[in-house]
Amino acid sequence: MKPWIWGAAALIAAVVVPSFLDPAGYPIRVLTLTLLFAALGQAWNIVGGLANQISLGHAAFFGIGAYTSTILLIHFNLSPWIGMLAGAALAALAAYLLSFPTMKLRGHYFALATLAFSEVLRVVASSWTSVTGGPAGLSVPYAADSLALLQFKSTTPYYYIILGALVLICVVFLVIQKSALGYRLRAVKENPDAAEVIGVDTTRVKITAAVISAALTALLGTLYAQFTYFFDPEAVFGIVAISVRAAIIAILGGAGTLAGPLIGAFVIVPLEEFANAALSSRAAGLSQLVFGLMLIAIILVEPRGLLVLVSNGIARLRKGRKG
Amino acid sequence: MSESKGHKTLSACRANRPESGFMPSGFMPSRRSVLAAGAATLAMPYLSRVSYAAGKDVNVGVVVPLSGANAQFGVNSRNGIELVADQINAAGGIKALGGAKINLVIADSTSTPTSAATVGQRLIAQNDVVAILGAYASSLTLALSEATERRGIPLMTMSFSDQITGRGFKNVFQIISKASTLGEAQLKGTAEIAQKGGETLKTIAIMYEDTAYGSSQAAGLRTTAKALGITVAMDEAYPLGITDVTPLINKLRAANAQAVFPASYLNDGLQIIRTMRQQGIKLPVIGGAGGYVIPDFKKALGDYAENVMSIAPGNYDQDPSLTDAFKKRYGYFMVHEALEHAVCLDVLAKALEKAGKADPNAVRETLHSTRFEGGWCNAMTGRAVKFDETGLNTLAKPLMVQWRGDNLVTVWPDEYAKGKAIWAGA
Repeated sequence: MKPWIWGAAALIAAVVVPSFLDPAGYPIRVLTLTLLFAALGQAWNIVGGLANQISLGHAAFFGIGAYTSTILLIHFNLSPWIGMLAGAALAALAAYLLSFPTMKLRGHYFALATLAFSEVLRVVASSWTSVTGGPAGLSVPYAADSLALLQFKSTTPYYYIILGALVLICVVFLVIQKSALGYRLRAVKENPDAAEVIGVDTTRVKITAAVISAALTALLGTLYAQFTYFFDPEAVFGIVAISVRAAIIAILGGAGTLAGPLIGAFVIVPLEEFANAALSSRAAGLSQLVFGLMLIAIILVEPRGLLVLVSNGIARLRKGRKG
Repeated sequence: MSESKGHKTLSACRANRPESGFMPSGFMPSRRSVLAAGAATLAMPYLSRVSYAAGKDVNVGVVVPLSGANAQFGVNSRNGIELVADQINAAGGIKALGGAKINLVIADSTSTPTSAATVGQRLIAQNDVVAILGAYASSLTLALSEATERRGIPLMTMSFSDQITGRGFKNVFQIISKASTLGEAQLKGTAEIAQKGGETLKTIAIMYEDTAYGSSQAAGLRTTAKALGITVAMDEAYPLGITDVTPLINKLRAANAQAVFPASYLNDGLQIIRTMRQQGIKLPVIGGAGGYVIPDFKKALGDYAENVMSIAPGNYDQDPSLTDAFKKRYGYFMVHEALEHAVCLDVLAKALEKAGKADPNAVRETLHSTRFEGGWCNAMTGRAVKFDETGLNTLAKPLMVQWRGDNLVTVWPDEYAKGKAIWAGA
C-alpha cells in the first residue's frame, strides 16, 4: 500500500469518527485536543525535525496567536478568523526578528535562546495587565454559535476546523520536505558547515523555515483560545504546557517525518488523559507519575521515536509470517 | 479501574497507529488489521469509561489539583468533601431521593486550565454528574466554568477571583466572598486592628505573586488603600516560585511602611517572612489566605509565624462542633478550603433534598432560589448561604485570623472574633 493511501484512509476515518460520538462529550474533546497537538507537533517539526533546530520556545508563537486574536476580538469585535491572520503575521515577524540573534547558535544554545524568548513573552503577558488581562488571563467573550466568531457550543465544529488546520500544516510540511527548501534544510541538519560550502544559504533557509513554522503555530494558538474559551499566560506561553509538549510529541513520534507528530500526539494526549481518568482518584499526583514513567519507557525502548518502533514491529511481523 | 484496563487502553493507542498517518512504504497490512485498528480507535475513548453499577446514587464531580503546584490545597479540599460525603451517606443519604448515596467522582485538574476543563467535560459526559465542586485555583475554576456553563451543570466553587461570578454565568456558585471584597476587608480589618493597637495606618507595602490570585488580591488592596487614604509605599509583583527575595526585602526596608501584605500561596510567603524576620524587620505581616492559613505555615516558620495575620474567607473556630470531625479524621485543623468545599457539598445535598430529583437544572434553580441554613452552613460567616443571581453567596463575610501557637484565631470583625488581635510583629 502506498503512503498516500494511508493518508487518505486516515483522513476519511478522521472525517467519519465524529458522527459516532456525542458532539459535546469527552471522547471528541480528547480527539480534538489530540488533533490540535498533532498540528502543533507538525508545525514544530518544520524547524525541529527538518532542520534539527530544536526549539523549546514555540509557546511564544502559540501565545502570540492566542493573545492577538482574542485581544482584537474583545476590543474591536474583530472576527477571530482575521485575528488569526494578524496573529500569524505577528508571529512570523517575531520569528524573523528572533532569528537574527539566534541564527549562529547551535544545539543546546539555540534551544535555550528560544526558551528564554518564550519566557520573556510570558512575563510580558503577565505584567501588561491593561492589554493582556495580566496573570488572571483572558476569557473569550461568550457568544451564540457563530462561524464568523468561531464559537460553538458543540465540540464537533472545532474538531473539523482543527482537523482542517492539521491537514493544512501536514501539506505545508510535505511540500517543504519535497521541495528544494526541504533538501537544503536537510543539508543544514546533517552538517551546516558542509551545506554552507556547497552553496546553501543556511541563514536564509533557516529563517524561511522558522517564519513558516511560527506563523502556523500562531494559527493554532488562535484555535486553542477559541476552543478553550479561556487562557492565562501559563496556558499559552507555558514551557511544559506548550513548548516542551510540541517538541516531545514530534520527537517521541519521530522527528523529521510526516507521520511522527501524528503518532506522537495520538499516543501522548490520550495516554495523559487515560492516566488521569484511571488514577487521579487514587493517590494524588499518581497519574502524572505514571504518565512520566511511560514516556521514559518509550524513549528508552526506542530513542528514534515510535515511528521506527512501529515500522520495525511491522517488518518483524511480516518476516515471521513469511517464515 | 483495573490494571488490565490500563494495558488495554495502551494497546488501543498502539493499534491506532495506521489511523495516524502515512507509514514508510514497504509493508502491507491486511485489510482485516486495518479494520481492527479502526475499530480500536473508535472504541478507544470508551475503554476508559468507568461503570457505576448503583444507578440510584447521585454522582457529584470533584475537580481539584491533586498534582502540581497546588496539590496540597487540592488534597485538603478533597478531604473536606469526602468527610461530608461520608457523613451524609452514613446518615442515610439523600432522603428525598429514597436514600440515594452521594458518589464522589474525583478527578485531578492538574495545574493547567485546559486539563481542568477537559476533566470537567469527562465527568459531565461519562459520569452523569449532577454538579461539580472545584477547582480551588481561580484559573482552573475559570476554565472549568466555561465547560460547565455550556453544558448547564452547576459548578460550586470556593475560588476567589471576581471574574468567576462576573461573567453573567448561570451555572456557577461562589460560596465565599470574591477577591476584591477580601482585599478590601484585608486592609479595613488591618486598619481597625492597628487603630485598636494604638497606631493609625498610613503607609503599607504590597508584594504579590504574578498569578490570577496574587494580582487580584493586590488590585483589591490598592483600590481600598486609595479609598481609605492610605499610601502604598511599595507595590511589587514577583514571579511565582521566586528564588531570591532579598531585593524585595531591601525595597521593603526602604519603603518605611507600617505593615506589609505579601499575597502568595505558600513557599514564597515563607521565604519572604523568614528573610524579613532574620533581617530584624518586625513589621506586622498580613497574608492573603492561601498558604498563610494552613498548618504547614506554622511548621515551616516556627516562632516567626506567631501573630502573623491573614484574611480568610472562613475559619474552623467559627464552629468547632463541625470542624473537630475533620481534625479527628485527618490529624490537622480544618483548613478553610476544606471547610468551604465541605459547605459546598452540604449545600448541594440540601438542594438535592429540596429539588427532589438529581437533575442539574432542578439543582441550579434550587441553588439560586433557596436560603440554606443548618448543618455545615453554621460554619460559614453569616451562618447561612444565599446565592444572588450571579451565583455569589451574599452572606459570606471575610475574617481576619491570627496565628497563636499552633492555632488560627479569628480576631476581626468583632461579631465573629474568638480572640483579641495583637498589633505587632514577631
